[in-house]
Order: sequence, then C-alpha cells, then structure tokens
Amino acid sequence: MSPTDDTEPRFIIEATGIRKVFSELGVSALDGVDLRVAPGEFVALRGSSGSGKSTLLNILGCIDRPSTGTYLLGGRDVSTLTPTDAAWVRLHYLGFVFQSFHLIAADTALENVALPLFYAGVPRKDRERRALEMLARVGLADRAHHRPNQLSGGQRQRVAIARACVGTPKVMLADEPTGALDSRSSEEVMELLLDLRRERSLTIILVTHEHDIAAYAERQIFMRDGRIEKEAMHAAS
Amino acid sequence: MRPRDLVETIRMALAALVRSPLRSGLTILGLAIGVGAYIAMTSFGQGAKRAVVSQFAALGVNVVRLQTMVDDPSVGPKPAHPLDDADVRALRQELTSAGRIVPNAHVVVVAAARGRSYSVGVIGTTPDYFSVRNWTASAGGRFDANDLAARGKVCVLGATPAHELFGDGNPLGATLSLGDALTCNVVGVLAAKGLSTTGRDLDDLVVIPLTTFESYLGLASGYSEIEIEALTPSLLLTMREDATELMRRTHEVATSAPHDVRIVSPAEAIRAATNVSTILTRLLAAIAAVSLLVGGIGIMNIQLVSVAERTREIGIRAAIGASPGQIMLQFLMEAIVLSTAGAFVGVVAGVTGAWFVGNALHWTHAIDVGGVFTAAAFGVSTGVVFGYTPARRAARLDPIDALHHE
Repeated sequence: MSPTDDTEPRFIIEATGIRKVFSELGVSALDGVDLRVAPGEFVALRGSSGSGKSTLLNILGCIDRPSTGTYLLGGRDVSTLTPTDAAWVRLHYLGFVFQSFHLIAADTALENVALPLFYAGVPRKDRERRALEMLARVGLADRAHHRPNQLSGGQRQRVAIARACVGTPKVMLADEPTGALDSRSSEEVMELLLDLRRERSLTIILVTHEHDIAAYAERQIFMRDGRIEKEAMHAAS
Repeated sequence: MRPRDLVETIRMALAALVRSPLRSGLTILGLAIGVGAYIAMTSFGQGAKRAVVSQFAALGVNVVRLQTMVDDPSVGPKPAHPLDDADVRALRQELTSAGRIVPNAHVVVVAAARGRSYSVGVIGTTPDYFSVRNWTASAGGRFDANDLAARGKVCVLGATPAHELFGDGNPLGATLSLGDALTCNVVGVLAAKGLSTTGRDLDDLVVIPLTTFESYLGLASGYSEIEIEALTPSLLLTMREDATELMRRTHEVATSAPHDVRIVSPAEAIRAATNVSTILTRLLAAIAAVSLLVGGIGIMNIQLVSVAERTREIGIRAAIGASPGQIMLQFLMEAIVLSTAGAFVGVVAGVTGAWFVGNALHWTHAIDVGGVFTAAAFGVSTGVVFGYTPARRAARLDPIDALHHE
C-alpha cells in the first residue's frame, strides 16, 4: 500500500469520471469530473459555493469516496478504500489545511504538530524533535508551548501548515486556507506554502473563491454545478 | 500494539480526563461506590456467616445429641426410656465411629453465695464436656477425672452466674451452695460466649462432675442428654444412623413405634443457618452488583457525552490520519482509566468500610478476599464493557460530518 513505490508516475493525481451523489437528497454534487495533476503542481480549485469544489477536495483527500469513477493517487486506486486504509493514506501521503485551522484546542502548538507522528507510531522524543523543527520552519519555535487560543489567526494557520507537513506528505490539500485571515497574514501563509512546495516538491490543491489567492497557483480550475467549467494556466511564479 | 503506544495512549487518556476533573471525579465516584458496596456487602455476608458458625461451634459442631423424652407429653402415655449408664456403655462398645461420649444431667436450682442467690441451670457431666465444645476458662481451671472419680464438691461457673453472685469480685475459691444438699468450691469461671443465635444465654450455667450431681442432686430421670462426638466430620451422618439404630434396639422399641429419644445434631442447624446467610450474602451482593452496573452506566453516559462534545476533535484526528482503531482505542482507554481508578478507590473504601464494620461487631476475618478480587476485576472490566459503545461510535464517525460539527 504505497502509491509511489514503483516508477514515479506521470501524474500524482489521476481522477476519471468522478461522480458523487448524495443519496438522501438525490442530488449529484459532482457530475463526471476528470482531473490530472502532475507531481509538484500547484492547482487552485475555484467556483461558487455549491459548485462541488469542496466535495472534490474531500474525495482527493480520501475523507470521502466517489459514488462512481476511479481515483489514482500515485498510480494506485484509492477510490474504494476501507476507512482504515484511507486513514493510512491520509497519514502518509496527504496533508490537510482548513479555513478554520482545526487545531485541537486543548493541545499546545507542539502537541498539535506532533499528532500525525503519534498516529504514525513515531517515538515521543523523535516526535517532539521533528515537530519542533517543523514549528521553527514556519517561524513559531518560540510559540511551541502556546495553546491555539494564545495565537493569532495567522500563527494558528502556520501551526496547521506545520502539522500538515510534518509527516512529509506528497500532496497538500488546502480548503480556503486564508478565508479567516487578514490580507497580511494571508500573504504570509501563501508565501509559506510556496516555499514549502519548493523545498519539499509538494503538490498543492487549494480551494478558494478569492482571485488574488488563486493567482498564487500556476493552474486554475473553475467549477460549476459539479463539473469542471474551464481551466486557466499562469506562468509559474 | 506495541507497549510504547499503549503507554502513550494511557498518557493521552489521563490528559483528557484531567481536563474535566469534576466530571471524571464524579464518574470515578459512581463506580467506586459500586465496587466498595460490593466488597462491603460480601464481606458483611461472610462475616455474618462466620459469626453464626462460631456461635454454633460453642455448642460443639461435630456431635450428635441423644436427648431424653421423659418429660415430653408428645411421646404419649407410655413413659419413654430414660437415658442411663447402660446406654452410655452400649454406645461406647458398639459405636465404632464415635470419639468422646459425654453424658450430662440437668437441673435448675437456686445457687447462693456471699448472701446473694440466683436461680441457675446446673449441668452434671464429665470433663470432656468442656473439650468437646472448646470451652476455656477465663479464670481458674476446670474439674478433671480425679474430681469425677472422687465425687468432688467442685464447680465451674458460667460468666452469668459468676457476675450475678459475685459481681466484680473474684469467685475463685469461694463456696457456693447449689440447692439444699450441695455446697461446692468454685474452681473456675468459663470465658463468656454471649447469646446463641436463638437468643439463649450460653453463659447461664454451673457445671459440676456427673458423679457429684448423682450423689447430691440425684439422677431420678436419668441423663438429660448424651453427646457423641464423631471421630471425623465425614462420619457424622453414619454415626447418627448407627446411634439411632442402637438406641431402638437396646430400648426394644417396636418397629412401628416412634423414637423414644430425640436425636439432634448442630451440624444441621449450622447448615440451615449458613444457608440462610449464604442467601443473604448473595442478595446483598446482587444489590451491590446493581450499583456496580449503575457505575458502569455512568461511565458509558459520560463517554457518550464526551464523544458528542469532541466530535470536531475526532474529525480533526481522522482527517490528519488517525485510523478508526486508534480513535476507538483512545476513547476506550479513557473509559478503562476511569473504571480502573473507580475500582481502586472502591477497593480502598470497601476494605476500610468492611474493616470498621467488622471491628464494631467484633468479627474476625470480616474482609472477603474473594469479594475484593471479584469487585476489582468487575470494576476494571466495566470500563471495557461500557466504554465500548461510545468508543465505537467515535471510531465510526464520518470525518467530513465530524469536521463540520459545531
């Protein structure tokens, strides 16, 4: 169960004919989406609310399963995983960043960042060392023992980014990561994501409805009514 | 599951529980009451049973008693055969399963000493009377075979007449008149035994040698009773049958006629009494088990609340890669930590409580060790049993729904 064991595939993400129907409503949130993403790409998913961009992100992040269609992550089919296998894929290949940070309120910044390593079975000492290094990388080494409510919004999102990156994932999934931040913090967070992407050859899929945030990505995908409406390419920043 | 992970999980569970100390404390208290009550109740039941047995033991456990029915109108117009020395000899000769055989006679007389008088039952018997019952003297000694052979004018007082006649004074060596015909020397006072389970005062008697009884008080209606001790407890039932058979034969009782002696053994009464206290113990244990169950439901309740409150946290953990099994273990471990703490507090409280009750009632060995282990084991496993459902609920949460939970 290791999507990148073999030869490096051409696409890290290869989704074909993805549909998602919410049975209780009879509504399809996704209606045949095809998406290919090369390793190291930075893709922005855009669209109004209800366009299906968040549902697509959830499926790409293996916290939701498509009703039909196939999703290859690093060349392996991950569209029909059991909850336990999906958790394993999330732990080792994916990192999540959310609009509302989703830090565990009772834990310190250090504990939050170390949490994925705990689930990966990394010993306590290694865990703390790696989490502290990661916190230092996002510029928050001096805030390691602060709890989320003692941090600013921008700092919280940087802790969340550190948590998403500490397990050295291949793909980072960001759902409106700057949606709750002022413009200066937003800029800092986006610069941080770009730096991390360069350092770690991360693939980034980012959901946003803000034009200037989407502009950080080299490729923008516009969604409407559960389908991809159009794509736009930028020069790499 | 590596031991290191288990330690980490326990550490995490402790941290989560310490965050809401009042809630955790009350949940622990709920289970502790159940465990403590179970220990206290089973110990109480065990203590009561031991107390009953030891009271019966004061009358001799391993014995069969042949009692005369001379004065019993229920026997009918024909006077029953009185028990006499011939019976004792026959029993000694033929009853191979018998150990000590102790005849005794009984009469109520007025005892007087130092200007005070007291109406008391006098027992005339052999020195074995004391040893069959394990009776010891609190002062002085008991009479012996020499006194028996010499028709010695000696007596041993029970604690009640000793107190009635001598108060706080020392009765040893005092002269005591029993009725008009006998004046004897007090050679010993028996240790107090208290009331029997039927409320009879076991200390209200004066014991003298059987020969002395015969000479001065008379054996007009024979012995009141012949006590036969079985060589081993397992021989008791056979011996009882053999003794019955022997009495019917030597007394020439017709096949169809009823027994002319009453045959009783305290073993039956002990069995009946212990049966009663066993039922009582089980009843108390059942009531305590209910409170153990309530404690378990308390854990389940608080864990369900905890899972509901922490739904978003569970969603976050799932999103960053915690497996359903890891989430399940986290919540199960919290329940187990709660129940283990409850069991520990309960054992301490229960043992302490049982110890105090046992002390107050003068019971020895009042703490039921088996009950302590049972309660502790049940208490700890309560966490597993009642923590399972909430933990499974946490593990089965849909990560997306959980993340969006407010």
